[in-house]
Amino acid sequence: MGITKRTGTAFATLVAGGVLLAGCAGGGGPSTGATSELTNDKVVIGVLNDQSGVYKDLSGPNSVEAVRMAIADYQEKYGDDAVASEIEVVTADHQNKPDVANTQAQAMYDRQNADIILDVPASSAALAVSTVAAEKQKLYINIGAATMELTGASCNKYTFHWAYNTQMLAKGATGLVEDGGETWSIVYPDYAFGQDMLKSFSEAVEGAGGTVNESIATPFPNDNFATFITKAQSTNPDVIGTMQAGGDLINFVKQFNQSGARDTTTLAVGLMFITDIHSLGVEEFAGTTFTDAWYWNYDDQNREWADRFMEITDTRPSFAHAANYSAAFQYLEAIQRAGTDDADAVVAELEGQKIDDVFLRNGEIRADHSVAHDTYLAKVKSPGDVKEEWDYEEIITTLPAAQAYAPVQESCSL
Amino acid sequence: MSETVLESPKETRYLLDPAARRSRMIRRTVLLAVGLIATFLLPWMIYPPVAMDIAAWALFAISVDLLLGYTGLLSFGHAAFWGSSAYVTGLIAIKSGLPFPVAILGGMLAAMIIAVPIGWLSVRRAGIYFAMVTLAFAQMIYFVANQWKDVTGGENGLQGVPSNFFGIKLVESDSFYFYYVAVLLIILGAWAAWRIVHSPFGRVLQSIRDNPARARALGYDVEKYKLAAFVLSAGLAGLAGGVFAISHGFVSLQELDWTTSGKVVLMTVIGGMGTLWGGPVGAALIVLLEDALATSGFDGIGIITGSIFIVVVLLFRRGIWGTATLLIEKARKAIVSRKRS
Repeated sequence: MGITKRTGTAFATLVAGGVLLAGCAGGGGPSTGATSELTNDKVVIGVLNDQSGVYKDLSGPNSVEAVRMAIADYQEKYGDDAVASEIEVVTADHQNKPDVANTQAQAMYDRQNADIILDVPASSAALAVSTVAAEKQKLYINIGAATMELTGASCNKYTFHWAYNTQMLAKGATGLVEDGGETWSIVYPDYAFGQDMLKSFSEAVEGAGGTVNESIATPFPNDNFATFITKAQSTNPDVIGTMQAGGDLINFVKQFNQSGARDTTTLAVGLMFITDIHSLGVEEFAGTTFTDAWYWNYDDQNREWADRFMEITDTRPSFAHAANYSAAFQYLEAIQRAGTDDADAVVAELEGQKIDDVFLRNGEIRADHSVAHDTYLAKVKSPGDVKEEWDYEEIITTLPAAQAYAPVQESCSL
Repeated sequence: MSETVLESPKETRYLLDPAARRSRMIRRTVLLAVGLIATFLLPWMIYPPVAMDIAAWALFAISVDLLLGYTGLLSFGHAAFWGSSAYVTGLIAIKSGLPFPVAILGGMLAAMIIAVPIGWLSVRRAGIYFAMVTLAFAQMIYFVANQWKDVTGGENGLQGVPSNFFGIKLVESDSFYFYYVAVLLIILGAWAAWRIVHSPFGRVLQSIRDNPARARALGYDVEKYKLAAFVLSAGLAGLAGGVFAISHGFVSLQELDWTTSGKVVLMTVIGGMGTLWGGPVGAALIVLLEDALATSGFDGIGIITGSIFIVVVLLFRRGIWGTATLLIEKARKAIVSRKRS
């Protein structure tokens, strides 16, 4: 009996201590309505992305470097007047898995006191983080993922979608149809991203007066596209659109070229990053058109930034890198205006903001928290036209923000 | 008396020697106390959601151990039950808003129902064939979940699973308090596993593991016993999966992926098969390792866990727990014999 009594007391002490400790932790939570104050005396920016898998090159560690560049620029701009007097960057690898992203996002907000999470490629992972952000009432600016859901049915007050989405990617198709590519075959991977892309592209093609002859689903991931390419060609379309991404895209393009389809048909790629072109080689992609959110060699402003980026990382930035820079910088600007890093105050500062920076041209944060900005219809150069390494794209047209982005989604209520 | 026939030699000692039985009793009580204290202290030492992960994976590993360690069946498709339960739990919680233990119970029942036809077909095979059949069924369920977008959310998963608990805000929103409620379900599951293993039914399972032909000759319907073990194991996996789903507020296809099946087998083997305690040890090790590595910026999580697996399989096949108990037993014997001399 003596023993049980003692353990009982010990246990009671433990529980009491637990309540006390948790109470203390709760006390340090978000302070409402405070001005020129920082939670935990510093701003913590979390970068959560793929640091080891297929999206490592297009986002990965270099996104973290881009965020650091934004911090350096902010500190240089405001010096001693900076509201965010101390800024810390934390980072984690979500392995493109939604469950890991979910856990890591919780840990970032709770354990590392992150005030904001940036990047998060892979749509399923992005939606997971968005849910956590809403629950914790902390900011999340998505860059790496394309899904419209983030600013549609699953939108919330604390989530912003910065760089691109499936509908904007499909806008490039409109330009192609107007240039005579009227009949299309679309090959898409049969999962959420591919299905979204198919929907957006079909609407864009048909909206511009073209027709989609055939839409062909492929398994995901997949290595052998030969039968799908043959099937896509069977109706002699002007354009074959592929919605594959990453490693699958590279396989598809290789096999597309080997099949000889390239001589008769234009290839349109749904989503491509400059890092994809770099890894497969410019000759394999030459002539391919796609929608780009940003290109490093577009003008002097971009180039200057890309040169700085190259000094640090030894490589050229993808649009996701530039978008990470932009999002981090605009977030810090919003803190500066609000005088605090309190999430609600910063969200209020960001909402409706019109922005022009190295990444966003004619940018506007819209009512559904999607960021509309000028985008570009790009064509991959032929090897003969490449003047330097990474000089892969020729910008055919610039789509003004209002054209590139569809109206605010009605399914979103913040 | 029929029971004594089934006793393995290790058990016989306890039957014949009351002193040994008493010392075992003390040992078990101490272990149980240490285990419970560790369970209750966990969210103090580490981040509570990670502690919850450890607890959920621990029960999942125990469920696999029940089959692998005590029945000799290597299921390579246990993610089917963990994941199905996670989805059903999530759906119940989202659609009905019932308290989470009810939702988890629903998920657990669903996992057991699914396990009946799968188990009925697969227990007719043993060894690698059993593993392959279970894997095949798990993959089928994976693809159903992937295609059934309207219900499961496909690639995007089930978002925003609520953790309703009779309106008690502290439990619903604070992961620290949530742990203490949810871990009770896990402990209940672990207790059930212990009861199963140490019941006459559990003894029959072990005899089937060691010598199925003999068990059959003694009149036991081997297939039926295996099926029962399979369904019970699926129920425990489902319980763990349901807790996992509620704790994360989120269910994804990852829960049904074959890598999840692989990970739980890895945990069981590293911790030690046929020990029950091994599962929690393996789960704690792997979850903590993954957690530490994810924030370290190191690329190859798989390299580390894979290397540990190889080392364990090559150097101590009994796993961490199995090897530790063996060493302690050896040391004890050495002390006893020295005392005698």
